[in-house]
Amino acid sequence: MSDLLSIEDLSVLIRRPGRDVAALSGVDLRVDAGEVVGLVGESGGGKSMVARAIVALLPGGAETGGAVRFEGADVLAMDEAALATHRGHGAALCFQNPRGALSPTRTVGRQLTDRLTTHQKLDREAARQLFEAVGIRNPARRLDAYPHELSGGMAQRVMISLATGCAPGLLVADEPTTGLDVTLTREILRQFRHAADTDGRGVLLISHDLASIASVCDRVAVLYAGTVVESGPAAKVLREPAHPYTRALLASVPDVSGRPARAIGGAMPLLSSPPAACPFAPRCAHATGECTASRPALAGDGWQYACFHPRSGPAAAAPPPAAEKRPATGRVVMEIDDAHVVYGSRFGSGGHHALRGVSLQVRAGETVGVVGESGCGKSTLARLMLGLAAPSSGTVRLAGTDPHAQRGRKLRRLRTKARLVFQDPVGSLSPRRTVADAIGEPLRALGVPAAERAERVAEVLARMHLDPTMLRRRPHELSGGQAQRVGIARALVGDPDLIVFDEPTSALDVTVQAQILDVIAELAGDASRGSVFISHDLATVRGFCDRVVVLYLGRIVEQGPVEEVFGNPRHPYTRALLSSAPSLDGGTAGGPQRAEPRVELAKDLDEADAATGCPLAARCPFVTDECRAQAQPLVAYGASEAACWRVPQIPALIREGAQTRA
Amino acid sequence: MANGRTRAVSRRAGGGFSRALIVTGAAILAVVALAALAAPLISGWGPEEIDANATLAGPGGAHPLGTDTNGMDIWSRLLYAARLDLGVAVAAVALAVVAGTALGLLAGYLGGWVDDVLMRIVDIFQAFPTFILALAVAALLGNGTVNLVITIAAVNAPAYARLVRAEVRSIRELPFVDASITSGASTLGVLWRHVLPNSLTPVRVIAPLNCGWAMLTLAGLSFLGLGVTVPGAEWGAMISLGSPDVVAGRWWTSVPPGLALLVCVLGFSLLGEGLQERADRRRTS
Amino acid sequence: MRLLRFVARRLLQVVPVLLGVVVLTFVLVRVLPGDPIRTILGPNATEADAAAARARFGLDKPMWQQFLDYLKGLVTGDFGTSIQSGAPVGSELALRVGPTLELVVLAVGLALVVAVVLGVWSARRADRFGDHSVRILALVGNSMPEFWLGLVLILVGYSALGWFPAPSGRVDPDTDLTPLTGADLVDAILTANGPAFTSALSHLALPVATLAIVVVAPLLRSVRASALEVLRSEAYLAATTHGLRPRTLLRGYLLRPALVRLPALAALVFGTAIGSTVLIEYVYSWQGFGQWALRGLLYRDYPVVQASVLLIALGYVLVFLIADVVHAVLDPRVRI
Ligand SMILES: Nc1ncnc2c1ncn2[C@@H]1O[C@H](COP(=O)(O)OP(=O)(O)OP(=O)(O)O)[C@@H](O)[C@H]1O
Ligand code: SF4
Ligand code: SF4
Ligand SMILES: [Mg+2]
Repeated sequence: MSDLLSIEDLSVLIRRPGRDVAALSGVDLRVDAGEVVGLVGESGGGKSMVARAIVALLPGGAETGGAVRFEGADVLAMDEAALATHRGHGAALCFQNPRGALSPTRTVGRQLTDRLTTHQKLDREAARQLFEAVGIRNPARRLDAYPHELSGGMAQRVMISLATGCAPGLLVADEPTTGLDVTLTREILRQFRHAADTDGRGVLLISHDLASIASVCDRVAVLYAGTVVESGPAAKVLREPAHPYTRALLASVPDVSGRPARAIGGAMPLLSSPPAACPFAPRCAHATGECTASRPALAGDGWQYACFHPRSGPAAAAPPPAAEKRPATGRVVMEIDDAHVVYGSRFGSGGHHALRGVSLQVRAGETVGVVGESGCGKSTLARLMLGLAAPSSGTVRLAGTDPHAQRGRKLRRLRTKARLVFQDPVGSLSPRRTVADAIGEPLRALGVPAAERAERVAEVLARMHLDPTMLRRRPHELSGGQAQRVGIARALVGDPDLIVFDEPTSALDVTVQAQILDVIAELAGDASRGSVFISHDLATVRGFCDRVVVLYLGRIVEQGPVEEVFGNPRHPYTRALLSSAPSLDGGTAGGPQRAEPRVELAKDLDEADAATGCPLAARCPFVTDECRAQAQPLVAYGASEAACWRVPQIPALIREGAQTRA
Repeated sequence: MANGRTRAVSRRAGGGFSRALIVTGAAILAVVALAALAAPLISGWGPEEIDANATLAGPGGAHPLGTDTNGMDIWSRLLYAARLDLGVAVAAVALAVVAGTALGLLAGYLGGWVDDVLMRIVDIFQAFPTFILALAVAALLGNGTVNLVITIAAVNAPAYARLVRAEVRSIRELPFVDASITSGASTLGVLWRHVLPNSLTPVRVIAPLNCGWAMLTLAGLSFLGLGVTVPGAEWGAMISLGSPDVVAGRWWTSVPPGLALLVCVLGFSLLGEGLQERADRRRTS
Repeated sequence: MRLLRFVARRLLQVVPVLLGVVVLTFVLVRVLPGDPIRTILGPNATEADAAAARARFGLDKPMWQQFLDYLKGLVTGDFGTSIQSGAPVGSELALRVGPTLELVVLAVGLALVVAVVLGVWSARRADRFGDHSVRILALVGNSMPEFWLGLVLILVGYSALGWFPAPSGRVDPDTDLTPLTGADLVDAILTANGPAFTSALSHLALPVATLAIVVVAPLLRSVRASALEVLRSEAYLAATTHGLRPRTLLRGYLLRPALVRLPALAALVFGTAIGSTVLIEYVYSWQGFGQWALRGLLYRDYPVVQASVLLIALGYVLVFLIADVVHAVLDPRVRI
């Protein structure tokens, strides 16, 4: 039997005036019907180019070599008529940003029926069923919705239904879960597994994040600089990868189990012609003369890798003994007391209640982690601490002073005591100002003379391992990692009392992420200042925070020492977050090795309606009438605090649930 | 490549076209500006000099483009008019940009009642098509070069104010402004160092287009007798003077000044279009 | 229902703007130099004649009194009496609006159709020869002084070729057209007057063409840019990779999203066109609103100036309102 999809020695060279890009060089890849294959690698590795090649939709000036065989026919050689049936019915693409990939002025129902009538001669009723199948509640009503009326998760489901609506033999999904919350990610990935298992489709799942797709893949291929460096059964590639790059990639991802990220230096090269040597050689710790002299071929049977000196044995090192986390005793640098923040709506009435009574203390020398799903108020908390948002009630004290009681020069000086590191590293730098200008800005506000300013800027720059030539560059000339280092340098330069990191690595590539986390971890150890680390990624928080705060819909639902909250979660929401967090070490996500059975929330966050009583009531599996009626204050349970009155009963409830399901 | 096939969605990157537009536009303007400067050297006649022996003489001989009803040399007037047309247009747009940007910056960054008051005034201005507004202002102010510059600047400034305000309001929400505020920068510092330079991007694209439009406005006003009046050398006034000849088939009194105007405005249009395209390309890639 | 509420709210917002316009024109026209009385009296009139004339038009009263009278008139639909002609401004206005509106609506309509067709065509051939030619031609059109283009078209179409009627009048008087709305084409249709229809059409051809040529460029540029944006969007890419038919792609995925930004621009262009008609009417001796308003302005005919300024502002604001409604209908993302 011939394979469903078989890519043979595929090369894509993009010719542009003045610059050629060797996007793919000799890629081999196979996907069978009923199989889920993961394609992973960092940005620019060529993942999207593979997806585009499968439907013969390459950018202008692209030259191809090799073949993309679909059921035996070479897609790259098809004429327009053959392509028209191949696209959609042969292979259908799901896009990374579903809202961007849905036409904004047509109802999603019509977009789906367009596909259905083109490829299957089916109608609206079939569309409704398809919506239901991908887990859309109220499918009949949703058919008449426009894309902008859908949440991110819902839009991704619609996107999947559009792709499956073409009845494709092969489903290709380019980063289908990037930007979605952990709880949703699992659910969406399950849809793809389902498509392979029940409909017998082949699925090619593209992602930069190994851990997240690990659980659903049968096989995995790893791309680096346009070449496949390793491919094979998921268990092999993820547990005991042979290729040094795969191992580095895996080690760069921190894990919820507590294993910290290990960074490797450098960044992926941009090739202008197919590589003649091992493209990973400049960053590889095991490189020898042989590696730079010729390019290793992808060899092996079933499990293949392109390396002269393959490694063996499990990739991930055992978690180090948990560092002694002493309770911080330094002075309080930031104190928030029962703060509410309401964003006024544009039209007066209403308004969005982003924080609902949050109290928090940060001491010098400690690092506080803040976690929660998107929209739960993490960034608002950061803005509150920085004085960018004013509390509508409650107080904020920075270094003992209320910034909102200050004006003019005093306020400006106070502001330099708390600094923010932004999520979007390039966007947080003024496009027309140089790096030197950006870093020196806080010093200018403090009235530091120019000469000393230059000196101190050079100092922090060196501390960030950046070259002094960077000083004259402008933001668009920086890579994401460099820009974020500049951002951190700017935060550091004025010797602040508090640094708030707002998702500082989520816009970066995996291996660059690890490098930045290294830098941050180094700073966080400093006893003279407090740090707040905000992230939707539990694993990074666990890596180097002393305390964690779990936010849900503007409220703190659990807080405590990091080991306690992660090792012994109390609140149902924390439990749910932890059990949906992807993990490579503790088995596949939430797999059998995890001691506790999973806790699953009932709905997506955006479907939960605001209610009185416990904010989680609409989604909590343990909800009772009392939860709905009674507001839940934080109550101490052991070393941590949780806002749920049923905490003592929950372990028993979980066991019961597991038994009835079994 | 093994089989070297090319499957391209669009032929070329297309960056060359915007450069060609910009270069052509700039070249046209440079030539016109040079001709205007060199007018005394290459004209042959003074701008208002009358050759009593030749009224409505056809092209050729002492008058390469003929003469008008007053016996003035068309070619010479054409050259001298370039000084006035270019000068007034550029000065008016410069004035409009400065005034409009200042107002837009204030309204956008300060918000509140300042914004409300300024924007209501802009609303009133923008309740009229700009040419109509220019007509009214010119009719009321009376003519004279300075008045014309003020007229054209005044009717354009509101559009810049609105443009810059919108830009400022979106820039104000960007992270780098927050970053600067939390760095302890003063309001003025934030405005001057971060908001202003970035909010000028669309202005830079629009201003050349606007110069072309300003020229057409000036010519239109003169055509109706509200701008420069004969014997002053201005292209619109020349067309106006020559317009009765058209029905009789005498083309040389009105066609050349119109062509000159067309070429010059086209220079600005090409430049503007090129800049716009380049800006779009930057934004989307 | 929501739409009605939106329209009502917008109309309310318009009131202060219009009030501002009324006050401003009233004051400015009187404060700035120029005297309407002198222009009607002739050179040998005495001071006494002038005073008498002033009293006749109520110009001797204090300014606030004049303003109140004016407002009172406005409320009852009375725009006052023209100082130049002595006729009621309201009825003069009624005669003049039709022809101009006919000219502008036809020209902008034509420009819109051309812009959409060529814009989409151009976008699909982005950066190829056809695309470049279309764009350059549009720019050339946009760079032409409309009054000059009018003259050139007359020179060619009438003086040289004789294909079109002389630039005077709007319809052949021999056709005995009964004026109803003032818009000759409409009147010809309403009275089923065939010859008048063809005559009106041939008179309209050159001015409409002139106006359309000079306003098409911005519309074309916008349609092309939007269509290009759509063609390069992920949404369109998704539809393409899912193998939808070309017709479905064009109708469902290209046209509507590409046109959502057009209405606002069309309104703006409508305004430009109104400005241009003043010049075009002049060139073609078109007895329309622009000519009338211009004369009022030149002779400082206060009531005429006030009425025409108010009408233009009102019309412009209404056109923008219509544009907003069309935009809201085209684009589901717009919340009204
Ligand atoms: N339209 C294009 N023109 C020129 N080069 C391109 C184009 N698209 C992609 N490339 C280059 O091709 C290479 C592979 O890009 P591709 O988008 O496939 O990477 P990717 O692995 O999908 O990255 P990401 O994780 O960012 O989506 C990169 O070097 C990229 O810069
Ligand atoms: S071939 Fe050499 S350089 Fe390349 S990954 Fe293997 S050991 Fe490293
Ligand atoms: S209070 Fe009730 S609803 Fe809320 S988390 Fe606890 S058990 Fe769930
Ligand atoms: Mg990609």
